[in-house]
Amino acid sequence: MSDPVCLMENITKSFHVGDQDLHVLKGVNLRIEQGEFTAIMGTSGSGKSTLMNLMGCLDVPTSGRFLLAGRDVMQLNDDELSELRNEHIGFVFQSFYLLPYATVLENVLVPTLYREKKKDRVRERAVELLTLVGLEERMKFRPTQLSGGEQQRVAICRALINDPELLLADEPTGQLDSRTAEEIMGVLTRTNERGKTVVVITHDADIAAYARRVIHIRDGIIKE
Amino acid sequence: MERFSLLLIQSYEAVKAFKLRTFFCLVSVALGISAITIIVAATEGAYKKAFDIVASFGPDSVMLMGGSEESRAIGQREKTITLDDVEAIRQAFPTAYVVTPSSWVGTATVSYKGNRYQSQIVGSSSDYSIAWTWPVVEGSDFTEDDIRRYANVGIIGQETARELFGEQSPVGKFVQIRNLPVQIVGVLSERGTSPGGGSLDNRIIMPYTTVMKKLLNEQRYVNAMRLRFTDLENIDGRVEELKRLLRYRHRIPDGQPDDFRIFTSKDIVKFLVALTGSLVVFIGVVGVISLIVAGFVLANLFLLSVKERVKEIGIRRSVGARKKDILAQFLTEAVMITSAGGVVGFLLGVVSAQLLTYVAEFPVYFSWKAFVIGLVLSWAVGIGFGLHPARQAANLKPIEAIRT
Repeated sequence: MSDPVCLMENITKSFHVGDQDLHVLKGVNLRIEQGEFTAIMGTSGSGKSTLMNLMGCLDVPTSGRFLLAGRDVMQLNDDELSELRNEHIGFVFQSFYLLPYATVLENVLVPTLYREKKKDRVRERAVELLTLVGLEERMKFRPTQLSGGEQQRVAICRALINDPELLLADEPTGQLDSRTAEEIMGVLTRTNERGKTVVVITHDADIAAYARRVIHIRDGIIKE
Repeated sequence: MERFSLLLIQSYEAVKAFKLRTFFCLVSVALGISAITIIVAATEGAYKKAFDIVASFGPDSVMLMGGSEESRAIGQREKTITLDDVEAIRQAFPTAYVVTPSSWVGTATVSYKGNRYQSQIVGSSSDYSIAWTWPVVEGSDFTEDDIRRYANVGIIGQETARELFGEQSPVGKFVQIRNLPVQIVGVLSERGTSPGGGSLDNRIIMPYTTVMKKLLNEQRYVNAMRLRFTDLENIDGRVEELKRLLRYRHRIPDGQPDDFRIFTSKDIVKFLVALTGSLVVFIGVVGVISLIVAGFVLANLFLLSVKERVKEIGIRRSVGARKKDILAQFLTEAVMITSAGGVVGFLLGVVSAQLLTYVAEFPVYFSWKAFVIGLVLSWAVGIGFGLHPARQAANLKPIEAIRT
């Protein structure tokens, strides 16, 4: 068996609020293997957003052991964390988070701007990805000219452009109607079927149902 | 290089997207740069003009004028130099290869077949074209013999020739100066304008003997004289000797001011630099102040822009941008805007300098130097004042930026 994409052992995360310590994660143990399609479910305040930020290396744990793509996240500095996000993680956000003044194609190419190990033919790869999600006609459009579903598909292409180990989707259908939500989950499912590890964070059981594995988080503790 | 060009393209998109920011930064930088451009062009123009003047005046030349500094200030020019002085100087300075008296009539009406024109009439010795390094392009200079016989001959400037004769050749023809018929024997080359702004090409040069006797009714005095020395390296010493000789001949007691003035090419450069200098200082102060103001405008608008674009910074950080990438992006945007401001400012400077030359006689000269200085300064403003906002952007925590 190969190494896990993500390994968390006894992870805690606390925030200082005023003069109080707020313990959001209280010892999380989590192992995600390559090629898994996992949903992390929880209500608001359960700590699922914090968990998502840690998994995405946007923030670091207070204590515990955390390996992502074989690297010890606790030992990395800011530049190395950026590099890790760039090469190994693809983000899909609830509100899409596209750059409004850049075209669809430019949005997809943004992560390649920051890639240390250069890859050839990034433009061709971006066009390929956009064609896969049916946006080959929309490449010169601005995000505001697209529907919500189309914008989220662009965001998925952007997340995949650097071929990361882990695709991390935070409430990816939260701003979409149920039909569009189905489409997007279809895209994520097909991405997983092509071998990509996918983690979806959601509060919606219907969305979680697409995943083969569902993890519940409540009061900062994981329950599978 | 794909990545660098992507950075440029994306910065360009941002520059285009935030139009108001771009506009205000660009205009304020352009104003500063245009002032700087004018200074550089004026300084270069002054040097070039000074160089031209020294070349045409002759670095080995000395001009001696009658009348003291005081009398010049009140608009008079006393005649204090006599023909005897001229002869004495000729004897005393063997290295002076040109010793030419100059006798000025001032403006007089010159006519030819009903064409009339107001022209400067100057009396000189026969080596006028050598004395002033001012070649005769048609016909020839008048001769020693003409001087001796008080001949009614003259050489004519380009402007006067054009006005009186049009396309015809003036050589051999007679013009009327006051009531004196004068035969034109030569035409001077085009000379342009003097440092003071008057045309140098509107003149007729005649033998000083003729001018003194027939136009001025003058026995002894000339207005000025011009000397050129073969020993250029001793010119300062020669000027001192000349001064002593004249003070002795004019019996001026110690402590009294000279009743004459001496100019060398150095004095002409000094005059020109003084003329341009005050304007350069004024515009220079304006230019530096407006560049600093432009810098603060840029810094403020970029700080606002960073606040507006916190989310964008969060997005970029989350897809892997390092702090230095964010820094580079905002600096690229700033430098892009200020470079455009620099180019616009240069063009603005060229236009306003042209206007300045109309309003005041003001030599300007544009070269790649003015352009490069403007561009480099605009980069300096972009980097210098863009650094603080760019740092603020780079130091945002990714998690806080993306959650706003």
